[in-house]
Amino acid sequence: MPPKVGVIANPISGRDIRRIVAKANSLQIADRANMLARALAGLSAWGITDVLMMPERGGITGHIMRHLSHAARRGDSGAIDLTLLKMPVTGSAEDSRRAARIMAEEGVAAIIVLGGDGTHRIVASTCGDIPIASMSTGTNNAFADMREPTVTGYATGLVATGVVPRAVGVKANKWLEVRIDDEPPEVALVDVAVVTQQNIGARALWRTDTFRELYVAFADPQLIGMSAIAGLVEPVGRREASGLMLQLAPADKAPTVVAAPIAPGLIEKIGIDNWRRLRPGEPVFSSVEAGSVALDGERELCFDSRQKVSVRLVERAFNTIDVAAAVHFAAQNDALRKGARLAV
Amino acid sequence: MSDNPFPLSLEDLMRAYRTMRTIRDFEERLHIEFAKGDIPGFVHLYAGEEAVATGVQMHLTDIDRIASTHRGHGHCIAKGVDVHEMMAEIYGKATGSCRGKGGSMHIADLSKGMMGANGILGAGAPLICGAALASKFRGDRGVGITYFGDGAANQGTVLESMNLAAAWDLPVVFVVENNGYAESTSVEFATGVDSYVDRASGFGMPGVTVDGMDFFAVYEAAGEIIRRARDGGGPALLECSVARFYGHFEGDAQTYKAKGENEYNRENRDCLKSFRKRVCDAGLATDRDFDQIDLEVARLIDDAVASAKAAPLPKPSELLTDVYVSY
Repeated sequence: MPPKVGVIANPISGRDIRRIVAKANSLQIADRANMLARALAGLSAWGITDVLMMPERGGITGHIMRHLSHAARRGDSGAIDLTLLKMPVTGSAEDSRRAARIMAEEGVAAIIVLGGDGTHRIVASTCGDIPIASMSTGTNNAFADMREPTVTGYATGLVATGVVPRAVGVKANKWLEVRIDDEPPEVALVDVAVVTQQNIGARALWRTDTFRELYVAFADPQLIGMSAIAGLVEPVGRREASGLMLQLAPADKAPTVVAAPIAPGLIEKIGIDNWRRLRPGEPVFSSVEAGSVALDGERELCFDSRQKVSVRLVERAFNTIDVAAAVHFAAQNDALRKGARLAV
Repeated sequence: MSDNPFPLSLEDLMRAYRTMRTIRDFEERLHIEFAKGDIPGFVHLYAGEEAVATGVQMHLTDIDRIASTHRGHGHCIAKGVDVHEMMAEIYGKATGSCRGKGGSMHIADLSKGMMGANGILGAGAPLICGAALASKFRGDRGVGITYFGDGAANQGTVLESMNLAAAWDLPVVFVVENNGYAESTSVEFATGVDSYVDRASGFGMPGVTVDGMDFFAVYEAAGEIIRRARDGGGPALLECSVARFYGHFEGDAQTYKAKGENEYNRENRDCLKSFRKRVCDAGLATDRDFDQIDLEVARLIDDAVASAKAAPLPKPSELLTDVYVSY
């Protein structure tokens, strides 16, 4: 019996104010559904038919059902048996959290996530050691992979069915834990920014004069968003055993200045006072008196002068499907090259 | 007094609250008064969506125009239309904004840039394109806002207007108040393309989705969109996800909603409650300050209802006056 795979597709990701204050794109719902259809085709190549999906009201579900019914009517092979989870739809991040929890209880072998860094963050913090296959449909997508979904689905099928061993196809990732006083921690998969804006408002970050501190789990100058700032001074790999923390300052007064793409099509001068490596487990307290904390580029938590914010890098926090490793393993495996286990 | 963490002055914060409270009380009172049978015609209540009208229109002045919907009371109040005249208009009285001849669905006040509530779904969009074109020609930096729901978003008028606004680069903001139901039809049954932001993309304009129950989210997003339009950046769409507290019209049994949906939204998503809590938590104002506004608004609405009831009906001899207005 082939394993079940979960799908969490967020229809709201990639819709925020960065369409106005930057030049972010707007991936259409029909395209998101099409991406999912391609990923499902990849899954079914390895015999996976049982897929659990988070219900939503943004239209992705309706489109994918239409895709599947067209395929069934035409008698296409590899039909997917899609089950919508029985849960209330609130249209908020709570849906992703609840769906991830149910999928974990149902024992899915992997969860395919379509969303931005925010959606991935919520699923990763809820699904325990179940690996996530990431597909980016958000704004900055520093965490999520930019890749053809067919291949993501294909690799997920390889790993979920055990054709590619978990030791090869699943990788552990770091995350950052943020705590305000003794509250339970929130997590960020890529970056934590502390800014002086004391309200959540439209969530996105674009007013550079408010940026004060930045903590990153990894930093790559090829990415965009807050982690790009770190990537431009000292790149840190996803698998390296440290992160980076930076003190930011007004660009005209700082000893280091980078021109960083902080959002799609938005390159800003960012001043950096100093930076250093962030060791795993080491709690660092913010020196910003009052403001808000942005998790993966979106303001989420406000704090005032009576509260203390601390950030900690945690290793081996959650698992992802390593698409490249999985398909390369398959390419080198003689039995697979002869079509063994293939369901198409 | 603490530092103000909000992007509005304390005075503007209290003004925003007063506007939202006035809309809420106006609608809650109409809910009661309409059931008594004294009000002619139909009323469609806006309660629950106050953060949208207020968060958007805090960025406007009288030079900016809005074109509203059949559910227009909130938009009128946020644009500064006189509450007494509005109430009298709804009662069909001669002291009303349109001398009692328009009723709930046709309240207008051109001096305030309020081009009218509108009984025809999707009819505000072409009107606002005209107003925005005029502003563009005059160079007065005026911006046009049109509101419509997820149902009217499917009307040809709205889609044609979006095309026109994009083609002519008009300073228009299309605000979708999406409560998930077109009258009683869920959006899933009504459209092949479920996202209104996707439609904006189809016409080559940017679109943004915000939580329409959060004043600060609407205020910040609308501020950027309106500034962009005012500066010549062209039209855009703002989709506000909302949860209205009443049905489509007064008397609607709301069988299409889940059991307890309205109660849940009143308890957990009330924009007035969350606004008040945030401002109090920041130490900028106290419950007493807000209670005082509540009291003043309650008196205003009481007085508006009493005056409306006492006011005369239009005379039969005036039947044909005020029907056409020369601009």
